[in-house]
Amino acid sequence: MNFTEMAEAIGLAEDEFLELVDLFLETSASDLGALRSAIDEQDTRQVVEAVHSLKGSAGNLGFSQIYEIARKVEENARRDSLEGASEAVEAMRKIYNEIVSTARG
Amino acid sequence: MQPKKDLVILIVDDSPVSIKLLETMLRKEGYAVVTAKDGPTGKRLAMEVMPDLVLLDIMMPGEDGFEVMKGLKKNARCATVPIIFLTGRDDMEAKLAGFELGAVDYITKPFHAPEVLARVRLHLKLSLATNSLIADQAYRLKQLEQAQTSMLTTPDDLPAARFSVHYSALHEAGGDFYDVFQISEDVFGYFVADVSGHDIATSFITAAVKALLKQNCTPIYSPVESMRMINDVLVEILPDGIYLTACYANLNRNKNLLSIVNAGHPPVVYQPKGGESRSVDVAGDVLGIFNEVCYAHENIEVDTGDRFFLYTDGLVERPADRRLWATCLPELLAACDKLKDVPVHESASKLLKELTNGGRVPEDDIVVLGVEV
Repeated sequence: MNFTEMAEAIGLAEDEFLELVDLFLETSASDLGALRSAIDEQDTRQVVEAVHSLKGSAGNLGFSQIYEIARKVEENARRDSLEGASEAVEAMRKIYNEIVSTARG
Repeated sequence: MQPKKDLVILIVDDSPVSIKLLETMLRKEGYAVVTAKDGPTGKRLAMEVMPDLVLLDIMMPGEDGFEVMKGLKKNARCATVPIIFLTGRDDMEAKLAGFELGAVDYITKPFHAPEVLARVRLHLKLSLATNSLIADQAYRLKQLEQAQTSMLTTPDDLPAARFSVHYSALHEAGGDFYDVFQISEDVFGYFVADVSGHDIATSFITAAVKALLKQNCTPIYSPVESMRMINDVLVEILPDGIYLTACYANLNRNKNLLSIVNAGHPPVVYQPKGGESRSVDVAGDVLGIFNEVCYAHENIEVDTGDRFFLYTDGLVERPADRRLWATCLPELLAACDKLKDVPVHESASKLLKELTNGGRVPEDDIVVLGVEV
């Protein structure tokens, strides 16, 4: 995960990118939380909302792994299926932690 | 020229990261950015701020982008603001729906910065070009509207022009017309015209002429040029067979110069202070008939206290008598001399009285315009 490259890819200076990463970390923390509860409650509509938001912000900044995972969950949830959703959340959380350490490093 | 101000872009998106990303991109380009994270706020800001362009997310909880678009298009103030909607890559239905609602373009998420900037730039250019065309036309029409609502300048409207006027029309839609206008601080224009014909068409013509005077009598054109330009437009817009006679006196109080152009109209009477009146005979073609027209002009060096009179043939002609203005001129000049000590603000009405012996029944519109240098 190279923030310098990622920043360049979307045409931002590194400090601007880092600001956005901070914002992303904030919003996706809450999205991940909402996603977790929605899966526990088997509420597919809520799942769609939470994961759509995650997908959007990850995609915008170039966190393509999270983007892909979120996209699949959204696709399934729209078809009323929560298959693989829990595993997806775990995977995304792992990447989230990586982002945190890269941002702090 | 309007003062330069930043172009404003309104972003409506429920994702804070999207907003911040777009905002950062656009601010770097030099745009001012206003943001809203939901539909209702978006609509409210659109009305308050009147953005030059809107970036609108479709998928928002609560009121979605389509609802916002409908709301904006319904409101006359914002209806013409270009809207670019933001949508997921595979949402063909959303794209079609967006266009149907009046969006000008769409941008897919995730954003690709150069694409966003290119589309924003393009649609701003298109929108500004259209608006400027509209503003131009509206300005021109406004001239006409203003001309119609305050057609005849009174001495009180423009005291610096130092004139008095008598205007009487035989019918409501008078064919005679005058205008007094300020061209620059010390330069004033005095214009009197007679339209052949007395019907509804003539009131449109006089409004058009007033607008034309405003547009074409400016410091950069000589009186002859102004008259020629007015003729050229009139040739285009006058109904067949309708024409105008007119005379135009341009007084430059700074240079003490009176410049007179005449288009087939009774001659201006010039009365030097303490001297005898004379008619200023300047040849010129009537307005509105000929494509190629010729105007002579006469420049008179004037002094403070000199006077000149513009009028229409109703003042001197008596069709019932078959007397035409050429033969009535001596009478007019004598009358002007007789009244040379009358203060200028009474000169027009007194001149009329003198020539009609207070009792003549008008057979035509009459305009008398008296000016003191």
